Amino acid sequence: MMNAPSKAELYLLAQEWLATEAKLLDERRFWEWFAMLDDELVYHVPLREARLDYAAEFPAGAYRLMDTKAHVETRIKRLDTGAAWAETPPSRTLRVVGSVIVTPTERDDVIAVESALLLFRQRGHGDVGDTIPVRRQDQLRLTDAGPRLLRREALITEVVLMTPNLGVFI
Amino acid sequence: MYKFNVVTAEEHQLTQLLDRVEQSLDQGLLPVEVFCDDTVFRAEMDRIFTRAWVFVAHDSEIPKSGDYVLRKIGLDQVIVARDDEGKVNVMLNHCRHRGSQVCHEDTGNTRHFKCPYHGWIYNLKGEFSGAPHFADAYGAPLDKQAWGLKRAPKVESFHGFVFACLSDDVPPLKEYLGGMAWALETIVGLHPKGMVAIKPPERFTVRADWKSGAENFAGDAYHVSTGHLSAGLCDFIPDVRQVSTIARGYDFGNGNSFIGHELSQWGPDFEFWGYPKEMVEQFDFSGLDEVQVEMIKKAPPTVGTVFPNFSYLRFPQPATPGGRPFPFTSIRMWQPISPGVMELWNWQFEYAFADAATMQESYLAGVFGFGSGGIFEQDDTAVWEGVAKAANSPWNRKDGVQLHYQQKRRPADENWQGPGKYYDTIYGEYLQEEFWRRWLRDMRRSTPAPVCDAAVDCHGDHE
Repeated sequence: MMNAPSKAELYLLAQEWLATEAKLLDERRFWEWFAMLDDELVYHVPLREARLDYAAEFPAGAYRLMDTKAHVETRIKRLDTGAAWAETPPSRTLRVVGSVIVTPTERDDVIAVESALLLFRQRGHGDVGDTIPVRRQDQLRLTDAGPRLLRREALITEVVLMTPNLGVFI
Repeated sequence: MYKFNVVTAEEHQLTQLLDRVEQSLDQGLLPVEVFCDDTVFRAEMDRIFTRAWVFVAHDSEIPKSGDYVLRKIGLDQVIVARDDEGKVNVMLNHCRHRGSQVCHEDTGNTRHFKCPYHGWIYNLKGEFSGAPHFADAYGAPLDKQAWGLKRAPKVESFHGFVFACLSDDVPPLKEYLGGMAWALETIVGLHPKGMVAIKPPERFTVRADWKSGAENFAGDAYHVSTGHLSAGLCDFIPDVRQVSTIARGYDFGNGNSFIGHELSQWGPDFEFWGYPKEMVEQFDFSGLDEVQVEMIKKAPPTVGTVFPNFSYLRFPQPATPGGRPFPFTSIRMWQPISPGVMELWNWQFEYAFADAATMQESYLAGVFGFGSGGIFEQDDTAVWEGVAKAANSPWNRKDGVQLHYQQKRRPADENWQGPGKYYDTIYGEYLQEEFWRRWLRDMRRSTPAPVCDAAVDCHGDHE
């Protein structure tokens, strides 16, 4: 890395990375998005329950998705088979990303990036679309080739998922 | 029109449909509208879900006194709580005073449930145990049973799997399961410590009817080579197209059945579902008969349904692409929400004796394959959506369209020594037919007429 970037520079970097990610995924350029993932990626979608305390809403170790980069690669290969029926035709999506918070971590080359995502998805043909609301707690590793997604905890707002599957990346 | 006439008209319409279902089944057909129909759905709720044994929780989810989970029996939300004597109580989550919900968390530990409306309080057995300003408001004591939460009259457990029935009029659970219990023992009864729910269930809405999931798991191995083709083409399970050729069928009657897979054809490593040697060595076969042991060694039950909406899946599948196939255990419920819409509840189970790494491998394998983002599950639920839409099609309904259940049948294996029937092929759709025969039988029973709860007749106590 070059000299330590300022907070404003880091914010801009994260904001741009998230917006680019959203665009690539909306345009289904999955392999270009895949290149933005770190080899050590941990991509989690935790389970959520209705509880009185916020901290208790996410039971430890319980997930809807618990992917490594290899799992993500298989998912994209599957979408490319022409037989991924849950995404045939593919969902038309719009990802709106906001409320970005960037904080340093113990590691110089890793920043924590939190964002809120509203993912609108129209499946099938003319079906009424679904909204998937997510708060994402990411870690980006800053490399010479650009930021890479090292870790994502995607906290879906719902306890019972209203969209019928997680066939789209959140 | 008076409500009386509406009910009669609906009853008449339902009877006509059920007659048609019966005639259709005799010809290997099924009227398509049963997969999404208001009248059918209402009758299912009244005639099936208030009278059948329905799975609610596993002992491992509520191990301690005061532990509870919120679950569903048909459309009813129920509290499943363990009391101080260790007994599990299944109670309707509605206050007896004005009907508000008394439990507000999906899971937790408590001493009592207090209604937020006027403050009526119930203990872990569901008994009424107090209300605010009691002397002024009521004076004389209220009968704690009569004014307790509605309680399921039947609650029984099978190897830690707790089922409840809202009717008194059922045989004991094990007797009711019959041959199915014999087969379930080989799945959940292989170790004295039993199985545990690894984590809470995952829940997601599927725009398909609950019966699409139930009948698929009851006997449909045919769909795998097409429905799950993508898992083969992306090299995750390269031989997925061949899996149904080793599928077998176990029919235990009453719409309870298993698909088995003759996994031993893939080599000795795949005996006993493909569990690693160190786990098989810890299995305790002493409670099983020879037929049971031979069955799980050669062609173990892999997929199945206990009528109405409890299903099971255990299949060797890698937790990570390229990893060793590990037989995860998924228990799922097809929860009816409305006609053509269900919630899928999916638990991952593992033997309690398994170490933490094995638990994790098992959990991940199940989540990656059959969670809401599961690369198998997604495709199942997507194709089932079409079934509900077909059921709603005015064109289909106008022409009385029936679906095709006419695969070539071969007789059951005459040499089968176990209960029920065994078929050495899954082709024939004979298990799906049994599911629908059971459905028809339950739907033919009349809707119970509302009767005044005997317990309510206590106004005299106030005098």
